[in-house]
Amino acid sequence: MQQLIEYVIASGMLGKNPPYQIVAAVVVLLASAFVVLVVALPFAGIVTWVERRVWARIQSRIGPNRVGPQGFLQWLADGIKLICKEDIVPTDADPHLFKLAPYLVMLAWILPWAVMPFSSALILADLNVGILYMTAVTAVTVVGILMAGWSSNDKWSLIGGIRSAAQIISYEIPAGLSIFPVVMMTGTLSMERIIKAQGWTPQHWFLFANPFCFIAAGILFVSALAEGNRTPFDLPEAESELVAGFATEYSGMRYSLFFMAEWGNLFIIGAIIATLFLGGWQAPRVSADPVVMNILQLIVFNAKVLFLVFLSMWIRGTLPRIRIDQLVTVCWKYLVPIAFANLIGTAVWVALWPEGNSVMGYLMVALGAALVVLFMRRVIYYLRRARMELYFRPNI
Amino acid sequence: MSTLHTEEMTLNMGPQHPSTHGVLRFVIRADGEVMREAIPDVGYLHRSIEKIAEKVGYHGFMPYTDRVDYVCAMFTNQGWGMACEKLAKIEVPRRGEYCRVIAAEFNRIASHLLAVGTMGMDIGAFTPFVHALREREMINDLIEELCGARLTFNYMRIGGVAWDLPPGWREKALAYLDHFDPILDEFNSLISFNKIFVERLANIGVIPAEEAINYNLVGPNLRGSGVKWDIRKDLPYSVYPDFDFDVPIGQGQWGVVGDSMDRYMVRILEMKESVKILCQALTRIPSGPVLAKVVRNFKPPAGECQIRVESARGDMGWYVVSDGTGYPWRVHVRTGSFAAMGLIQKLSRGLMIADLVALIASLDVIAPEIDR
Amino acid sequence: MGAAAQYFENIRDTVRTVFEGMAVTASHFVRKPYTVQYPDRMPVRVQDTLPFRYRGILEVDLEICTGCLACERACPIDCIVIACEKDSATKILTIAQFDIDIAKCMFCGLCSEPCPTGSIHHTSEFEGADFSLESLIRRFVREPVAAYKPKKGPETDPRIAPILSRGMRYVNEFAAPGSDKPAEAKTA
Repeated sequence: MQQLIEYVIASGMLGKNPPYQIVAAVVVLLASAFVVLVVALPFAGIVTWVERRVWARIQSRIGPNRVGPQGFLQWLADGIKLICKEDIVPTDADPHLFKLAPYLVMLAWILPWAVMPFSSALILADLNVGILYMTAVTAVTVVGILMAGWSSNDKWSLIGGIRSAAQIISYEIPAGLSIFPVVMMTGTLSMERIIKAQGWTPQHWFLFANPFCFIAAGILFVSALAEGNRTPFDLPEAESELVAGFATEYSGMRYSLFFMAEWGNLFIIGAIIATLFLGGWQAPRVSADPVVMNILQLIVFNAKVLFLVFLSMWIRGTLPRIRIDQLVTVCWKYLVPIAFANLIGTAVWVALWPEGNSVMGYLMVALGAALVVLFMRRVIYYLRRARMELYFRPNI
Repeated sequence: MSTLHTEEMTLNMGPQHPSTHGVLRFVIRADGEVMREAIPDVGYLHRSIEKIAEKVGYHGFMPYTDRVDYVCAMFTNQGWGMACEKLAKIEVPRRGEYCRVIAAEFNRIASHLLAVGTMGMDIGAFTPFVHALREREMINDLIEELCGARLTFNYMRIGGVAWDLPPGWREKALAYLDHFDPILDEFNSLISFNKIFVERLANIGVIPAEEAINYNLVGPNLRGSGVKWDIRKDLPYSVYPDFDFDVPIGQGQWGVVGDSMDRYMVRILEMKESVKILCQALTRIPSGPVLAKVVRNFKPPAGECQIRVESARGDMGWYVVSDGTGYPWRVHVRTGSFAAMGLIQKLSRGLMIADLVALIASLDVIAPEIDR
Repeated sequence: MGAAAQYFENIRDTVRTVFEGMAVTASHFVRKPYTVQYPDRMPVRVQDTLPFRYRGILEVDLEICTGCLACERACPIDCIVIACEKDSATKILTIAQFDIDIAKCMFCGLCSEPCPTGSIHHTSEFEGADFSLESLIRRFVREPVAAYKPKKGPETDPRIAPILSRGMRYVNEFAAPGSDKPAEAKTA
């Protein structure tokens, strides 16, 4: 962001000596608006289309494919339909809390975009507590969801809201604990510096740096899914039990705000894991031109985040839902102790090898590759056994 | 510190709900997440089918039997056909009996696929539901070639079946059974042995064997509690003695005998047994007529008869009283889902709301069967 | 040590079964979807792919209707209304009205079974949705016609012969009532 502001001043389009503070403020504001309006919100819409197509292929059917090429405009059609719906506020509901709740949930989703490291030059605010800020701000969803559940004046919404509050607050702990190994290894909370401490090849990623970080990445992924109310932790909005949980009484655009926040949260989850464990925007140095490098880094970052988003959708299509007491058990009895063990293990590791250990890096990469090969073998086994479905209507 | 004062909530899991199997209503008294009691309220789907029988006569009632339980319509057809045949002492030709068994066992597989699919969906896994329905669609295609309809078959008549197997159907059916076996194993890998699924279902809604018998449970619900009772083996009818198959019972591998996981596994294993029966029936089917001679204005002699058929949901009882005219004097159907509803209030004490959904799904209640 | 072993076994089971489940769903990514994109992205109309026995909307071929009223008697819902009169002088049976109420029909097939010529039969048409309830009463008689008299030998009228052969083919699909004595061998 610094480079961008200096570029704007140096290009001379604003006169000889523009006041630095005002130019900086205006540039950052415009960039933030751009990120929110052009990147964040359309992403939340488009990811619904991607999810429905991915979901459908898992279930051997085709997703939406009529509205626009390959159904790409389905999310626009859904958005327009939701805007045109009647805005119902239940009679006995608390109107102020009811109307405020979706905005709080959206806020909790939009604020992390301020520290999203898209590339080495494209980051809105390189806070030196970047990761902490992200984790803290995503916790504002609890307030929004509790408000929604309570103010709906509906017992089912209340149950959904309380479940969700318990879930998000519980899973903050293992999420935070899993961020600490990386913080310990780099000694900083800043997103940029964590990325700069990694390289672009897999053995330099923190995911493969040592086995504790590998497990910490897994725990972070699971906790982030739980915080985002995604299956297997989507109890608050369990369709088969509570219709739509805390959002049952909402209609029209207010309803869509909740779910845009949920789908958009996928990007945040992906971004956190990509930054901390997968090397962020690190890309091979193919040219000295900073613009080309930045574009390459942008592509690399987005590819990693989108892979993780795809992974969330894939898991959603595979696993059933955990009950609330099992959810809490998993968090407190399994994830938190293992996260503590990781913390201590990484502390020992950092004490023994402060500069890192490339042998372990290669070993872990080999382990990861072995897991992938094992996975592909199972996939091929299932494909061979099922012998591609028979069709009983040969004319079609 | 004195105990916190909490109030009991009364919730309504109303007739319109994404997960009750059909139009059922539960009034739930809950203390937060844990239920004190769930009181079922049935009757939303009552259509007076038993009374309609007294108006339309014996032949005309056959399509109505499809609607008693539309998921496994072949069994209701068979029950009605057998009741009328017993009243009038008509013997069904052997090939007709084989056709009945083939159609019935295909319907059993289709019904169990729907049951396990919706069970997965109620637990939260959407994919197994669609996979199960895809397989069910293939069975529906087969039966559509056989009798012309996909859900309300009206395939059987008093005295046999209405249509013989079309040419080439047997090969298609055997090819489908060949394809179905690995798909069932794949289904098991996807959901049945999944740890989350097992944890949701094990030790939930435990029905000990004695209680199951006392409450009149039948079918996979009864067999899931460890009681080896199957009408096809214990009170054999039709040509079932010709076939070699097993009756799976709940073994309590993941929890206690009689929990929801046992009932689920019994359904999966019963599908495998049905495949066995079908392979035997399709290869050994004799030739001959499929329909006995029955007069158009069917007037069975006055009397009453009772028939028990092992439908997908259990022992379905048909009780017909005839007064010598062409219209029955009284028809009564006794279905397994009705008995299962009676047990839910007792079982639901202490369960969580999420478990109630799993329990209803594991008992495989179908609303039209309860209310008729 | 039982509790610790149970603890690690739970973790191991979870990871293993999730791995298996994800392998199954991953294998579905490369399979052809089972969806049939009705009605517009299909090479053939769905109605032409349905089997011959499909019980769609009813249709009456009045050219071969004998006026026996067997279908009206067989219908459990009384959705078929036929008006038939035999002129005592000329001894000709005239059909004045043949209405089928599709809204009431439950597509059970009990009417097409007793038809001697197969004039009332199920088509493979299933798209019957319409805007008014009156349009669902299909009236097959525009002006009173004489009933058909089935001939002893093959039908000679070239207009009626194909209709009759299709009707008989439909009716012959139904099982012929016999006894349980083993009769002629059947294929399949």
